[in-house]
Amino acid sequence: MKLLLLIFLVQAVLQTIYLPASQGTVQPMDARLIEQTCKQTPLYNLCVSILKSDSRSSKADVTGLALIMVDVLKAKATGTRNYIKRLLRGNLKRDVRHGLSSCAEVYNSVLEADVPVAIEALQKGNPKFAEQAANDAAIEASSCERSFSGHSPLTKSNKSMQDVSSVAAAIVRLLL
Amino acid sequence: MLESDPFCDFSKHEDPSIALPSSYIPLPDGPHTRELASARRMPPKRATFKVFSGVLMLALFFAIIIGGRNSDVHANGNALLATSTSSMASKPLRPVSRGLSAGVSEKANHVFSGIEVVSFPWNNTMLSWQRTAYHFQPEKNWMNDPNGPMYYKGWYHFFYQYNPNGPVWGDIVWGHAASKDLIHWLHLPLAMVADQWYDLNGVWTGSATLLPDGRVIMLYTGSTNESVQVQNLAYPANLSDPLLVNWEKYSGNPVLRPPPGVDLKDFRDPTTAWYTSDGKWNIAIGSKVNKTGITLIYHTEDFKSYELLDGVLHAVPGTGMWECVDFYPVSKISGKGLDTSANGPEVKHVLKTSLDNDKNDYYAIGTYDEKAGRWVPDNPKIGIELRYDYGIFYASKSFYDLHKGRRVLWGWIKESDSEIADVKKGWASVQSIPRTVLLDTKTGTNLLQWPVEEVDSLRLTSREFERVEVKAGSVVPLDIDAATQLDIFAEFELDREALEMTAQTNVEFSCSTSGGAAERGALGPFGLLVLADDSLSEQTPVYFFIVKGTDGNLKTFFCADQTRSSEATDVNKQIYGSSVPVLKDEKLSVRILVDHSIVEIFAQGGRTCITSRVYPTKAIYGAARLFLFNNATGASVTSSLKIWQMNSAFIRPFQPGQDA
Repeated sequence: MKLLLLIFLVQAVLQTIYLPASQGTVQPMDARLIEQTCKQTPLYNLCVSILKSDSRSSKADVTGLALIMVDVLKAKATGTRNYIKRLLRGNLKRDVRHGLSSCAEVYNSVLEADVPVAIEALQKGNPKFAEQAANDAAIEASSCERSFSGHSPLTKSNKSMQDVSSVAAAIVRLLL
Repeated sequence: MLESDPFCDFSKHEDPSIALPSSYIPLPDGPHTRELASARRMPPKRATFKVFSGVLMLALFFAIIIGGRNSDVHANGNALLATSTSSMASKPLRPVSRGLSAGVSEKANHVFSGIEVVSFPWNNTMLSWQRTAYHFQPEKNWMNDPNGPMYYKGWYHFFYQYNPNGPVWGDIVWGHAASKDLIHWLHLPLAMVADQWYDLNGVWTGSATLLPDGRVIMLYTGSTNESVQVQNLAYPANLSDPLLVNWEKYSGNPVLRPPPGVDLKDFRDPTTAWYTSDGKWNIAIGSKVNKTGITLIYHTEDFKSYELLDGVLHAVPGTGMWECVDFYPVSKISGKGLDTSANGPEVKHVLKTSLDNDKNDYYAIGTYDEKAGRWVPDNPKIGIELRYDYGIFYASKSFYDLHKGRRVLWGWIKESDSEIADVKKGWASVQSIPRTVLLDTKTGTNLLQWPVEEVDSLRLTSREFERVEVKAGSVVPLDIDAATQLDIFAEFELDREALEMTAQTNVEFSCSTSGGAAERGALGPFGLLVLADDSLSEQTPVYFFIVKGTDGNLKTFFCADQTRSSEATDVNKQIYGSSVPVLKDEKLSVRILVDHSIVEIFAQGGRTCITSRVYPTKAIYGAARLFLFNNATGASVTSSLKIWQMNSAFIRPFQPGQDA
């Protein structure tokens, strides 16, 4: 009887330690995978902060981490595409409008081609197409930035896209 | 490099003993039954309490396991933007170059630094010019690996990875085409689609085996509904249909699942089978263990049940996943191809793999002892290092053409332009012209590839140029009509005196890290400028570059330079190539097939091959020109050429009544 009570108490103590982990805090083991993975990307801090703030990362393998990064890429591209649409409604100089239209096409391509290909390739186990897609997204973001002859209203967004894409591509490379 | 490799640990978590591939890990049920059993033997009140506490403990235990799995995903947009700005400040930005994914090693990256990529305003005129006239490609959408090439009842068959829904990879099914001559292809209905659980997520690459009794076996990789890679068996629905339009999948599929020790997503692309001394068959499948690429061998009698042979056919550490493995014999003595099952003292065996992490095809030549199940490479120091092609050429697959007794090789040639352009033009990828493959009996250490002779049937008018002298630092226009569909054969001779007088150099040369055709040397570069415009603002030099080493010996390099191939900046601008063996008394020779946006180049009879994709904006249609050039500093060069205009192959859908 006393033994059973003791076991029960020990269980309860252990659960208070481990239950929070299942709700989003990263356990030591999972943190190691994230850190080791991110070390092999060009932007360690960005990689770690993105992955750690996504609760799926605690249970993810490298493919899962890559998918999380692609999700973030998708979210950023969606945000930028929406921003471009808003800007295009305004009164703009011709060269700015021209640059924004070019960028709208770029971000459409990222969302309609690169992201779906990356997700499908990762989920179905043919990661090289995901690497190509992530690289394409980075290049396209940089070409959007250069389509402005003067000041670019999208510098932050483009840089952010390039960053996340290069991290995603580096994570996918680990699977090849 | 990681000390403890997480990927090692991961693969151990996959329970290989589970018969059906599944992502669900069953929960242990031991303690549960034991608890209840012991409870029954005690007095009722105590028993109830014990049962209750036991159940409570288990409930909490389950809560940990299941609760952890169902965590929600919440995108944390604002916080991410905040952190990303701060990390951007700390590290300089380097856009990831296309080069990495197009197969250039890290070392060659400097070719891209400083090039600013801008989306080029491609218009329909430029984009529609890019479609090839005599290379295989579907009418639209995406294509990748060649599949199941074979010859059957008077027709060559070609299958391919195809996306019926768009010009990017995805939703992969098997396209199909047939031809009488490997050149004039007729599109047929899709051979196989993703309609079974075992290939729902992809009907991937596979190979055909023609059995002596006339049956046709097709083995292919399916990505199951849970994205596990398995091998499946399919066969023609009607063997008396020479066009093999309809295919059936074996009801007992899959016939092979990933073996223990190998990741569920590292098991694909089964080869053609070869006959074994015990009257059965072997097939090879590529895979990897951690970062070591391997080739597994399976033994079968009926293609339905298989035995994994011990060990591996070959393994090379650090190469990553081996895709599209190919294993075939070549003759040491004859100029003919060999059936996949051939072996003997006058036979060598080629093992080839496509490296996933590098996007290139590599091969090695060795000796295969089928009874012992061992293949030993001729040069054990080389892992698997010779390349079929120094440009874009991947997922290649060979087959034995029993109609003409030759081994024929197909290679997937993807685009090297931007994805936006592919989406605009509505298609992506072509196949190489099929090539015959032979052992180079003069060197003994490499293969020779050459376009199949049937491509000659496309030749229309020709122009010959005898002994044209091209002085150092000059460009000579060649007066031909159009210059976008050509078959060029050219020979070059360097000025003897210059060859002898040139000083030795210990400078290492490599096509990819050189300055391209603009970098002048004593004995090169010299060759041809294809897809060039009159002003030479766009040009694709294909050239030789000779270096005299410290031992006085000449070393010849052969390169294709894309750096000025187009005014557009959103296309690949690498320099492809490698050294090419030139034997005593051999002239320098090159054959070039120009077909709009693809240029296939064969040096020294096919000892070194380069396939390049070219996307000019001005050197298109009637504005494209061909030039000889010599950018060496002192030596002059003499060239004799024959240039044919090439007809279209009129690749189109099959019309019953018209075509058969």
